[in-house]
Amino acid sequence: MVIIEATNLEKHYPSPEDPAKTFAAVNKINLSIQSEEIFGLLGPNGAGKTTTLEMLEGLTSIDKGNVLINGLDVITQPYEVKRIIGVQLQSNEYFDRLNLSDLLILFASLYSTSIDPKALLAKVDLENKINALPNDLSGGQKQRFSIACALVNNPKILFLDEPTTGLDPQAKRNLWNLAKTLNEEGMTIVLTTHNMEEAEYLCDRIAIMDQGSIIAQDTPQQLILDYAPEPPAAPMQGNIEDVFLSLTGHGLRD
Amino acid sequence: MFTKSQLHLASIFIKIYYRDRQSLAFSLMFPLIFTGIFLFSGGEPDPTDIGLANQSQNELSIQFVELIKEKDIFAVTEGEEVELKKQLIAGDLTALIIVPENFNQSDTGRLRLLLDASQVRQVGAIKDSLDSMLLSIERELRDTQPLFTLDIEDVKARPQRYIDFLLPGILAYMLMNLCIAGSGYNLVEYRRRGILKRLFVTPIQPKDFIISIVLARMLIVMIQLSVILGLAVGLLNINIIGGLYSLFGVIILGAFIFLCIGFFLGSLAKTQEAIRPIALLFTLPQLILSGIFFPISSLPALIQPIAQALPLSVIASSMRDIANDGISLLTINFNLIGILSWMIISFFIATKFFDWQKVAS
Repeated sequence: MVIIEATNLEKHYPSPEDPAKTFAAVNKINLSIQSEEIFGLLGPNGAGKTTTLEMLEGLTSIDKGNVLINGLDVITQPYEVKRIIGVQLQSNEYFDRLNLSDLLILFASLYSTSIDPKALLAKVDLENKINALPNDLSGGQKQRFSIACALVNNPKILFLDEPTTGLDPQAKRNLWNLAKTLNEEGMTIVLTTHNMEEAEYLCDRIAIMDQGSIIAQDTPQQLILDYAPEPPAAPMQGNIEDVFLSLTGHGLRD
Repeated sequence: MFTKSQLHLASIFIKIYYRDRQSLAFSLMFPLIFTGIFLFSGGEPDPTDIGLANQSQNELSIQFVELIKEKDIFAVTEGEEVELKKQLIAGDLTALIIVPENFNQSDTGRLRLLLDASQVRQVGAIKDSLDSMLLSIERELRDTQPLFTLDIEDVKARPQRYIDFLLPGILAYMLMNLCIAGSGYNLVEYRRRGILKRLFVTPIQPKDFIISIVLARMLIVMIQLSVILGLAVGLLNINIIGGLYSLFGVIILGAFIFLCIGFFLGSLAKTQEAIRPIALLFTLPQLILSGIFFPISSLPALIQPIAQALPLSVIASSMRDIANDGISLLTINFNLIGILSWMIISFFIATKFFDWQKVAS
């Protein structure tokens, strides 16, 4: 069953070189995301991943095209959409002087629901931090807490924006396991990343974006078969990073 | 009337504020300092420091000096001209009176008055009070009865001190500053740190957010102003003639106006650096023009109508009417119309310019 259907999505911003002109941050994107899959948006910096994600979430206005989330139109029913999605943003800042428990209760109240902060924190392995402040947490703990905040309304779809950027390998693995567990419980997960290993390990399907457009979309295995260069010698094997680089080129992006 | 999320969010804002011990301590410091200053000065202006060099030392000049020293409005330092002149230049004295050597009764006694002309504001006042003082001294010396006397009577027949005039204005000024800091500065800070964006990922609507902040800040401001008012009434013996309901009514309406304006300023300011000058541009002219320290009627006539219509003016003068003259908030007058107009204007600009999609990104 398709749970997210985006058709011809477009987002234009004023061009940084010439404010009179605009450039397409997202250019006629079509996405069809299945219920209960983990879907990855891959791309170099500035490819339009976060903009796309924020348009799906109703956080950024949509210039053209439309998005249906579980049958709800994001443009006309943003608040209904926000009720059934959970969002983890790239930035991890919260109100000062509120501990994890206060914050989770606050976020739950914004959905007019109540939660057991302890149980939710246990789910992300932070039950012993219930009275800590977010700034006292390590990078990995912050990301897990951020996910806990996104879970207060028990969402159908969870959006993760570069969830493992800046984490050490252990924290990264830990977060992958958390995402896998949530997915096994029936949650659809849409994430952006430029970590190839993450895309390959975690995602059921991947869309590769470059300069605002989707240039390839399939399962990681199929993408490797289609695009990765043939292994030149026996022990070497292509991986998703090869796919990524062969599609988007080797030039440095910023 | 309010939804559960609005009330919860409002309680969160109060909790955040209450847990901020440092700003809590400092916000109590101002009223303490303020009341302290008036407690020790008695609310009356200090006497003007003047120097007096008596170069004559005859009977008349000694008598003259004694009479000047009796006057309450001057604190007199006696000494040599050269020494006193140095003090005048250093700014320790405001004026220097020199009684010349040939000071006697046969001729008109000529006194020399030395002033620092850069103290423009004081020169006129000192000259006038010296003139009238010389006149009364002359009468005493010649033992003549004055032709006229002036009995000053307050038509409102109540003791009115400067502090009674000042306090309502200071409360209104604090109200404005606390509100603009509470909504404007916080809005910019929450936006910069991505907290607003995080909030608007949830189904909360911009009006819920505005209502919660306004509710929370109103309560905080009411408590802060109650503390000041309590201290003023208790320690400075301020007499609030009108009803407290009316006074707090104005405070609530004023809080609404300034919180909305704060939202507007916070939406205008793109950065943390920009909000300070923008807020100052709004608050500073009002501090001068809104009759906080001096009545608006002392301003140039051209500016007066504008000054009277400023939001701080209508709030301050409404509070003063209630506190000093016992007028009820519900008396239909210029101030009430001004307050209601500013409520509409401020709410309109706050909601019109608060575009969360722009504000949050």
